[in-house]
Amino acid sequence: MRASWRETLLSYTFLAPALVLLGLFTFYPLIYGSYLGFTQYDGARFAHGLGPKWVGLGNFRTLLADPLFLTSLWNSVKYLLVVPALQFASLAVAVLVSRELPAMPFFRAAYYVPVVTSISLAAVMWEWVYNRSGTLNWTLKALHLLPQGAAFGWLNNEHTAFWAVMLVTFWRGFGYYMVLYLAGLQGIPEELNEAAILDGAGSWQRFWRITVPMMRPTILLCSLLSTIAALRVLEEVLVLTNGGPLNSTYTALMYVYSKAFQGFDFDYGLASAAGLVVALVALLLSLANFRLFRDADGSQG
Amino acid sequence: MNPKRFARLFALGLSLTLGTAAAAPVELQFWTWYLSPKFDNYIKSTIDAFQKANPDITVKWFDKQDSMVQDFISSVNLGGAPDVLNLNIDETAKAAQNGFLRDVGGLTSPALLNATYYPQSIKNFTTNGKVYGYPWYGWLNEGVMLYNPDLFKKAGVTHIPRTTSELLTLAKTIKDKTGAYAWVPAMKDPNTASFLGYFYSEGLPIYDAAGKAAFNTPKHAALLQQYVTLYKGGYIPEDVVRREAFQIATELYTQNQVALIVGGPQALTRIKDTNPALYAKTAVTSAPLGSAGVQTGGSMDLVIPTASKHPAEAAKLAAFFTNNANQIAFAKVVPVVPTTRAAQLNSMFRAGGADPIAKATGLVGSSGRYINPGYKAPTNSDDLYKNLNDNVEAALLGKKTAQAALDDTVAYWNANMKK
Repeated sequence: MRASWRETLLSYTFLAPALVLLGLFTFYPLIYGSYLGFTQYDGARFAHGLGPKWVGLGNFRTLLADPLFLTSLWNSVKYLLVVPALQFASLAVAVLVSRELPAMPFFRAAYYVPVVTSISLAAVMWEWVYNRSGTLNWTLKALHLLPQGAAFGWLNNEHTAFWAVMLVTFWRGFGYYMVLYLAGLQGIPEELNEAAILDGAGSWQRFWRITVPMMRPTILLCSLLSTIAALRVLEEVLVLTNGGPLNSTYTALMYVYSKAFQGFDFDYGLASAAGLVVALVALLLSLANFRLFRDADGSQG
Repeated sequence: MNPKRFARLFALGLSLTLGTAAAAPVELQFWTWYLSPKFDNYIKSTIDAFQKANPDITVKWFDKQDSMVQDFISSVNLGGAPDVLNLNIDETAKAAQNGFLRDVGGLTSPALLNATYYPQSIKNFTTNGKVYGYPWYGWLNEGVMLYNPDLFKKAGVTHIPRTTSELLTLAKTIKDKTGAYAWVPAMKDPNTASFLGYFYSEGLPIYDAAGKAAFNTPKHAALLQQYVTLYKGGYIPEDVVRREAFQIATELYTQNQVALIVGGPQALTRIKDTNPALYAKTAVTSAPLGSAGVQTGGSMDLVIPTASKHPAEAAKLAAFFTNNANQIAFAKVVPVVPTTRAAQLNSMFRAGGADPIAKATGLVGSSGRYINPGYKAPTNSDDLYKNLNDNVEAALLGKKTAQAALDDTVAYWNANMKK
């Protein structure tokens, strides 16, 4: 039954507010930003009221020649190592807290608190954890894992700063994916687990043979979100290390941020071009993600 | 209507319109940087005094914090740019180079500028031969030295250091004997080239006669190496590679983990708030200087953006805020250094006293003429400063020798200084 023109009009009227907002705040900046990536639009042009000047691939050539950009891109790609760790831990803990034991709601809430904590607050706290005389070193000393006098500031060492910042990202993202997995776990029929127990399967086997395969769509979604988030890490780095010892925590978006927003020598064209490169990498990785988690017969892709 | 009557009515109407047009109040937007809420009273009372003296100008005041530069750039785009803006030396140079500011010499006569402010202060805000700001309050980086006499006694230090080389030896003594750091040098303050200030105070040049970077002579490398050795030995807090030295020093001083702070007296205001017992004990004396006997410093100014619609009135406001009387009044509220010539004659800066803040103010208040960042900010400074800081960090962490770090920086600077 074809919808009458009145129904179509009504539908579009209901869609209109969301479409307008999306258009103004998502599509327009996306298109304009992409356009800026091919132009020269720096502080000097801006101050004189001149608009962007088309330079084609000029910005991209500058980016390729800048070792700082290549380092930052590499750091962002290295940051993807947090994704498997995060997904596995979130899924495992989701399975644990999905059981109806006492105090489980408390745990679910407690794990979610880091997600909603403001990054500046979290940074102050984590600075004190990673400090030379901070809680991490104190704990390691108490457990005799750190020899006397070997305490050091974890954020000041170029070998450990990266992993320290990654841990903060892990801590913040953990609860978020756990909640998504909890929702996904509701879709697994109880009978499968019960049948497996009757057949003598251990909890580990049940996890790998039942839970994980049935959670495939959720795992795909969460891995996708996590991958894109890992490529776009900025806040943790900005507040904890500002690019880190020897640029070891200098991520791609830090490069974009410093080119676009740190003062009068800004260069919107270069920053937009860098952003486009990050978007391209994210796109390629998302496609790879899809292929990896796509169901064999495509029925749940 | 009677033509005469009509003419009179017309004249009356015209004069009323013109009259109101002439007396139409001008509204100026005034942005300050990091001055609220602590100095609300001072700013508001100064604005009131200005408005009283200029009844046809009203001032709308906003204070900005971290987002100052970004907000200003957005406002230029959106059409609501401030008429008077508060910047510092580096930012004024960058804004002027990119065309954001008006030449102040066109709004206030150069003769008047030269008569009001110290020559070095005017030079600090001159780019390409034009003056772009009205010098406002300043600070000396080596302003005073505040130290904790208890820690000195514990370390057995009897001679108060007077030169920076004495400070460097003191770093070892105090750390070895008391476990506290002696001081926190500004190795690589974010977004600045703070280490160049140390070259300047030892009389080592930054640029050569042709204007190219030239801070990689063996003497420069030897100086950097001294700091690197201290860092490697753990005599300087390792957070200097990550944070601003002054912040670290003030935090650690109040925890009795740093023996002395070399810097502006404004640290004392914070110490007074956080640890009043330590504040009462703190001794104040003049800062140790390098072998060249000069001090580096910074200064704020008031600039008039190109996008301002009322430059003449804006110039009045800026000149008023930065005149001698108002700078002295500000120095009474917080120990800053006025940049007006007449300040050095003010009796307030002769007095000493037991109160650390009063003593510190007396020591530095009349030294405004020395405020000199030590080096002229190059064009494209964001990238160049980051390169310098990255190389200093590499030297500190042992990835490069001090000489190699400086060589690489000089090569980068000379290749990338936009002309």
